[in-house]
Amino acid sequence: MLYPEIVIAGCGNPLFADDGFGPAVVEELLRLDLPDNIKAVDAGLGGPHFIFTLLDPEVTRRLIVIDTVNFEGRPGDLVRLTVEDLPPGSYRDAHSWDLTEPLHRLKDKIDITIIGCQPKRVSAPEFEMGLTEEVQNAIPRAVREVLALIGVDYGTTIQNLRKGEHQPGAEGEACGES
Amino acid sequence: MSKIVEISPTTRHEGHSKLVLKVDDAGIVERGDWLSITPVRGVEKLAIGKTMDQVPKIASRVCGICPIAHTLAGVESMEASIRCEIPKDAKLLRIILQSANRLHSHALHNILTLPDMYLPGTDTKINPFTPQEPVRSVAKRIQRLREIGQTIGQIAGGEAIHPSNPRVGGMYKACTPQAKNKMYDLAKEGLTLAHEQMDFMIAILRNFQKRDWAEVAGKQIPIPKKLGYHNQGYMASHPLYGSSSLDSNPGWDPQRWTDVRPWDWYMGEGEVSLADPSYPVGGTSPVGTKVNPQMEACTGVPLYDGAPVEVGPRARLVKFKNFDEKGTIGQQVARQMEYTDSVYSILNALDEYNPNGKILADHIPQGDGSLGWAANEAPRGTDVHLAKVKDGRVLYYEMLVPTTWNFPTCSQALAGAPWQLAEIVVRGYDPCVSCATHMIVIDEDKKIVAQKLIQ
Repeated sequence: MLYPEIVIAGCGNPLFADDGFGPAVVEELLRLDLPDNIKAVDAGLGGPHFIFTLLDPEVTRRLIVIDTVNFEGRPGDLVRLTVEDLPPGSYRDAHSWDLTEPLHRLKDKIDITIIGCQPKRVSAPEFEMGLTEEVQNAIPRAVREVLALIGVDYGTTIQNLRKGEHQPGAEGEACGES
Repeated sequence: MSKIVEISPTTRHEGHSKLVLKVDDAGIVERGDWLSITPVRGVEKLAIGKTMDQVPKIASRVCGICPIAHTLAGVESMEASIRCEIPKDAKLLRIILQSANRLHSHALHNILTLPDMYLPGTDTKINPFTPQEPVRSVAKRIQRLREIGQTIGQIAGGEAIHPSNPRVGGMYKACTPQAKNKMYDLAKEGLTLAHEQMDFMIAILRNFQKRDWAEVAGKQIPIPKKLGYHNQGYMASHPLYGSSSLDSNPGWDPQRWTDVRPWDWYMGEGEVSLADPSYPVGGTSPVGTKVNPQMEACTGVPLYDGAPVEVGPRARLVKFKNFDEKGTIGQQVARQMEYTDSVYSILNALDEYNPNGKILADHIPQGDGSLGWAANEAPRGTDVHLAKVKDGRVLYYEMLVPTTWNFPTCSQALAGAPWQLAEIVVRGYDPCVSCATHMIVIDEDKKIVAQKLIQ
């Protein structure tokens, strides 16, 4: 199965400074030893057409989207939003025939939460890599929020659960096994 | 007297582009300009000084739908510059990833195409999301083909969207025999579905070709027999995968490529003088809107042998398989014909693939600054990356992405079509315009957001 019961999608473009927040949080989540029914995906800019239109509500029960949201908060502030809070066009799938938004199509079948971070600097149209300090500092809080949402409690030992330390043999893992 | 219509933005494709059309009294396009309006700048500059491993990862972020093509072309342009040959089993994994990506992409494009098409024998346009048969089972088949493509791509490439497995010199991880079997089972299932989907789509496209009119905004628009015809040439580097400067007989030649500026190519300043508020979605631009494609176009115009060329499925079939059908429908038929080729190439690569084989070159040179290039046959056309690597660092990098080649060619193909059908011609190219940022802007009641702050 391509997507399991719980899907965490980090959306945004790391080439536009703080717009890379979603993928950066997923990168951090992937270092953790998450249960098998959870998949964290670096969706980049492909969330709507690669993930949101491919989820099977029979299998996937929960979707957590991590993205940058400009709500004129302080840089690094996090908000927890529902699909209803999103302005029109937020995750429009360009490939959708009627431009209906895939999250609206899914929202009654899948429990969807959006974790948004207020960016300090989004460099578009110029490419620029790297998060600002404020947004970088929001990553651990976003990770804790995701873990709370999915009911995974690592307590205060979260840093010890990084795969490299937890599973010394992980380096030898072959693709397709997980 | 000519009038100007503007469709902005165009819909049902990736990225942001627009059409500026000069039409005659009957509404037939005399001159069409299709251009990207997404300003994205600086990947070449950003790449300089980065390591040869970082740059393909950067390249894969330029577009939301072609990360696999950009990863492969990026990695292989580095390998071409440093002159590194990769082991056979690594190449086979890349071929599997490439073919799986094409399978997914063509299926996704069907969703984009179908709403312009009709159920044969009826005047009913196809809604891919209707719960009614026969469309419902077609939609399910498209979804399954996409899942199969994405799952195989994930196994071979490490991740389904931004593949983590390809690296300069080969691949990071081999696939286990179990993973190989899983891919094989999926591909076998996909083969049957690909045959069915190809037959279905070709029947639908042929039916459109026989029609006299298509309905747009409640009006019957005549379909010209030469919809989407152009007289430009074709460019393809390989029937399936791609080519690079390491090949003994390279499929692309940098000497034949030139780049001109948009203002040498597109129309100058003008003003919209014809508008249709009922045109989907949201109407055309109102009369009086200023247009200036020369200044608004955000991409250069690449030429091959001094002229625009078409890239993509038809170009591959024309160059390598004697396909000769012109026009939008010919282009769409060619795309469907690649369905089964994609799956057969996965099966053939799996037959050859040895899970215990070597996947990383013994020696990865660090480069002497020589120019290398790699052309990847992405679903929507030839994606060429050029690089110079010295001591492991990138000195020069350039990306010539597929739709950039197709912009000027498609612009020519618009002439002779009723303006209301121009988007059908554009969609035939499966365009992918560079993506901009994705940031949600909440501009409503800020109190709501304040209540949702995470402490």
